[in-house]
Amino acid sequence: MTSIATPSGRVDRVAAFGASVAVLACLLMPFAVFRANRIVAGTSHGVLAAGLSGWLLLAASACALAAAIVPGRVARGWLLPTASAAATVALAWALGGAALTLRAGQPDASRVSIGAGAWLAAAGITVVWFAARGYPEGVAARRIAIIVAAAGALGAALVGGLGHLSIVTEYGMRADSFWSAVGTHLALAGGSLALAVVIGVPLGILSLRVRWLRAATLGVVGVIQTVPSLALLGLLVVPLAALGLPGIGPLPAVIALTLYALLPIVRNTYVGLSEVDPAVVDAGRGMGMSGRQLLLRVEAPLALPLVLEGVRSAAVLVIGIAAVVAFIGVGTLGVLVFEGWGQQTDDLILLGAIPMVVLAVAADAGLRAVSRAMTSPGIR
Amino acid sequence: MIRLENVTKRYDGTTAVDGLTLEVAAGEVCVLIGASGCGKTTTLRMINRLIEPTSGTILVDERDVMDRSPEELRRSMGYVIQSVGLFPHITVADNILTVPKLLGWDRGRMDVRARDLLQLVGLDPGEYGGKYPRQLSGGEAQRVGVARALAADPPVLLMDEPFGAVDPLTRERLQAEFARIQRELRKTVVFVTHDVDEAIRLADRIAVMRDGRLQQYDTPERILDHPANTFVHDFMGSDRALKRLGRVQVDSVMRTDVPVAADGRSPDAIARAAACSESRFVYLVDPQRRLEGWFDCRALELEGSAETAITNVDWREVSVHPDASLKEALSRMLGLGFRSISVVDETGVLLGVVGLDDIEETMTDSDAYIAPASAGVNETGEAEA
Repeated sequence: MTSIATPSGRVDRVAAFGASVAVLACLLMPFAVFRANRIVAGTSHGVLAAGLSGWLLLAASACALAAAIVPGRVARGWLLPTASAAATVALAWALGGAALTLRAGQPDASRVSIGAGAWLAAAGITVVWFAARGYPEGVAARRIAIIVAAAGALGAALVGGLGHLSIVTEYGMRADSFWSAVGTHLALAGGSLALAVVIGVPLGILSLRVRWLRAATLGVVGVIQTVPSLALLGLLVVPLAALGLPGIGPLPAVIALTLYALLPIVRNTYVGLSEVDPAVVDAGRGMGMSGRQLLLRVEAPLALPLVLEGVRSAAVLVIGIAAVVAFIGVGTLGVLVFEGWGQQTDDLILLGAIPMVVLAVAADAGLRAVSRAMTSPGIR
Repeated sequence: MIRLENVTKRYDGTTAVDGLTLEVAAGEVCVLIGASGCGKTTTLRMINRLIEPTSGTILVDERDVMDRSPEELRRSMGYVIQSVGLFPHITVADNILTVPKLLGWDRGRMDVRARDLLQLVGLDPGEYGGKYPRQLSGGEAQRVGVARALAADPPVLLMDEPFGAVDPLTRERLQAEFARIQRELRKTVVFVTHDVDEAIRLADRIAVMRDGRLQQYDTPERILDHPANTFVHDFMGSDRALKRLGRVQVDSVMRTDVPVAADGRSPDAIARAAACSESRFVYLVDPQRRLEGWFDCRALELEGSAETAITNVDWREVSVHPDASLKEALSRMLGLGFRSISVVDETGVLLGVVGLDDIEETMTDSDAYIAPASAGVNETGEAEA
């Protein structure tokens, strides 16, 4: 399902861009920030503060740049993932090394945070990873590179000093509430998504059959989608109060998230079904399928890829919006972010933000895989 | 078998089918023809209740279709449409088995059936059974469409411009195959088309429709020779003599007593053999009787050399299939500048020869009409002539 266009013969511009960003970020921007304690202002340090692994990171990023320019798809196909893996491992060890080096001889309360340069370098290296997907020639090299990168990063976490970064210290201070926030976030997003599927798919099917319902349904869910999430939470207070229900807490949160998830699911179900070739439907009816058989045996399998696509965008959407419901007292990962803002502690913000990104990316990848597995090879 | 009695279909304001009465005998091919909007497709779709008539009665096997459940009714009728409508998400074999699956056949019986049907429509079961519809050409897809309609061996076939969306060459081939299958299976077929040549080639009876009304319902011969009104006359076109040739298959008029000589014999030996024969050409064949060329006695007379009298050919380029129509054979002869053309099967084996004189004879001799789908047709034609 790689949708990246075939890279041009001479220079892989995507990979070259990513590698350049990584090299420049390492050279020009602060790689790590040292603080004497959690709240005082910090001092910035370059990549070479990490010592050898800093040099390696620079070298690997430069190699990725060279790989992007080297002619020949085959050579590039294995050079790009190799350089990406090397840069990933070097980045992990450089961060760990910076934490160890900068905190050496300092009090326990001292902190080393990840600097802007390191973030940008990580982003650049990610771009190179994605560019490498455009080379089917290097698929074996890429698989090995992913394993090497994962093992190298794990090594950095276990023995390379990654554990001495400030964000890990923040995690250590509130591991319980962190995991409860992850659980709440997942339960809320997953529950709302399931509810939206249960409501949205039948609504999409009905919209195809009943004309007045189509206009009403698609119109209403479309309007809901345009209401900003905080405003929707505010608007829900009135009808809930009229019913004697609380305007804050899990109930309005689930309602809001379900409403947001409805649009992509209803719309894609409707579009998926309405795009089924009329000749196919006519043939099915003409051969004696009942409406139910036609739906289950023909229309549903043909519409399924689009329906799952809708579920996928809904999943990513609700994982994002689940952060906002922290405002009405639901303990999602958003709580960590808001607390971090309140305390002006970047690492606490990141402790909430990074898992959200991971959840969204994992949901996206997982549902893509589900969609691939469930789609007939005849229509893939 | 199928009887429509005073059937009318009105949509608010317009009348699509107006008081149609029509009877299709069991085992016959009835072609509904007319310009677009004449009500032919509406008529077809009323037979399997995809459209419900406003008034009138439709009987299949003496049973009113309105007394049967639409699903049960449709499963007893094969249905083929122009756009084929294969299910893209399942394999060719599973497509073919759509109705058997609805009827709950057991797996073993279905597997055998899928293989038999693919063979029947001229597709290799091993190669095609596991393919998906998008891997098929237009002609292959329509073959599968026909196989799917025949899957549960329904007595009735409804076909709505089934060969309308393929190129002319493929259409010719599909028509010939359909004629062959129909000779074998003898289904009761209602076939909609707007192609006059197709109607003449395949029909036992043609129903010419205009503005929802039946203009004439008769055998192709009668419709060509005695059009009921000027509309039918004009609709069938001015080249009626040629059209009639579309109805005769090559194998029904070809001469099979052609002189042949095994290729590889010396030109002089062939010349001696030719001298004994009365015809101008001696056909050269390989040991499997595949056409390889011919020996022209007149060229021998004119030039005196046996070598120059021999022409070697690729049989694909200078022959017709026995299932082809005389019209096609004539067209090929005119295109090649020949006065006769050899008839070979799929593998190139020489079966006979058709000449311009044979065609001429056919056009003056009504006994030579042999309907591709049913042999009983020209009796009706003659009885009334």
